[in-house]
Amino acid sequence: MTQYAFHFDGSRCTGCKTCEFACKDYYDLDTDVQYRKVYECTGGETSKDENGYVSTTCFAYYVSMSCNHCDDPACAKVCPTGAMHKDSDTGLVSVDADKCVGCGYCHMACPYNAPKVDREKGHSVKCDGCAERVAQGEQPICVRACPARALDFGPVEEMSKMGERGNIAPLPESTYTNPNLYIKPSKDAKPAGSKDGKVANPLEVM
Amino acid sequence: MLSGMDTALGEITLVLFTTLAPSGVVAFILMGLPLLRGDLPVETRRRIDQFLSIPLVTSMVGLVASATHLGNPANALYVFLGVGRSPLSTEVFCAVVFLALAGVYWLYSFSQRPRTGLQRAWMALAMVAGVVFVTSVAFAYSAETIVSWYTVYVPLNLWLNALVGGPLLAVVGLRVARYRPVEDRLGRALVAVSIAALAANLVSFGLQSAGLPRIENSLLSASDLVPYYGLMIAVFGVLALAGIGVDARVLYARRSGGALRLTVGRAAAASALALAGIFVMRFAFYMMHMTVGLGV
Repeated sequence: MTQYAFHFDGSRCTGCKTCEFACKDYYDLDTDVQYRKVYECTGGETSKDENGYVSTTCFAYYVSMSCNHCDDPACAKVCPTGAMHKDSDTGLVSVDADKCVGCGYCHMACPYNAPKVDREKGHSVKCDGCAERVAQGEQPICVRACPARALDFGPVEEMSKMGERGNIAPLPESTYTNPNLYIKPSKDAKPAGSKDGKVANPLEVM
Repeated sequence: MLSGMDTALGEITLVLFTTLAPSGVVAFILMGLPLLRGDLPVETRRRIDQFLSIPLVTSMVGLVASATHLGNPANALYVFLGVGRSPLSTEVFCAVVFLALAGVYWLYSFSQRPRTGLQRAWMALAMVAGVVFVTSVAFAYSAETIVSWYTVYVPLNLWLNALVGGPLLAVVGLRVARYRPVEDRLGRALVAVSIAALAANLVSFGLQSAGLPRIENSLLSASDLVPYYGLMIAVFGVLALAGIGVDARVLYARRSGGALRLTVGRAAAASALALAGIFVMRFAFYMMHMTVGLGV
């Protein structure tokens, strides 16, 4: 088995969201559904001392993320039907629409905000790592589309050489589900689980 | 701004299910207690048996309502594949076992000459299945990544809710079945259970509320999701206390020689008030949903 993984280079991402829209376009997703999201993580404050000297601890950085095809996926663990499953050859997590009841438990349990029930389709939908493209030797569409080459995808042995496993906020500590997302952090990035920063674009990503 | 309102409204059928089913099961168990006795007159037994339909229908309405929130109910049978792994599958399985046992018991009670020994053993079995079912509902969302639900208060509150609402619903069932003791000592005992559970429940909700601001992810804290949690707890307390009061007023007045009678309407109103209060708290529960990472 080859476990596939994503790599995200925070030092290159400009937050342009081309990845997000390439995915939406490729899969013809409706306005309410997006498989890849770009999170804007911001925090800190600006203050002025008695001499009028202004100093700041403000920071802002981006994290582009879809499903992390975790080693211990919370979604698959709670799925009552087994529709949410991890492929035994590629380690990619996807939904078997013929089994899914659309209960929404995967959405409730995933700490990376990946699966969601599409009410019109009646079942869960999510990033499947562009399994069909990967099977044909191509890269996922988001990776291909990134103009800054901040995204990469491949066997976990290669991706893990380029960064650390899900180690920056707004992600939770990686120990919960062991995500297959390896990150090279930007200079301002806070460690995973840090509460210093908040997601500044919640309405866009939730 | 993000709020928990969308989650709760989206899961409104589950709010209804988790309000009705646990109280229905507890009411079934409490109504069944007199049936465990061997010396119950045949007619009395038959009447109580028949009106077990009240708690059973209450539980069933909840279960049917919960099925309507599914995106594709046609695949529902696959749910049994996850029993033991997924807490949701386990819950559904326990529900089916309880309803099958209780339903068959109820149907058997209509036979011409039911065997009392078999009925008593069967009832005891259904009661155990009921306790297991309520416990499975209490732990249905026990997933480590859902931080606001992965606390001791969640299963505790669900059980206490059931012990507040269940006894009052049992009073309705027993009263409709014209089981005399419910208008006296048994009725007072049931009301006492309800009020004790209410007191414990209010303490538990209070402690849970105090901890919500500390449950935080990168979007917000659990207390942001239920900004009026304190108010909701108060509404629950007032409604449940009013319900208990409606029953208690008559039951305790009778002991001191009062002329008031416990009518069916009064008992039903008492039960409805308590269930309305529980509904408010179940709504708050779904509002509170958030994950350790990026989910509300």
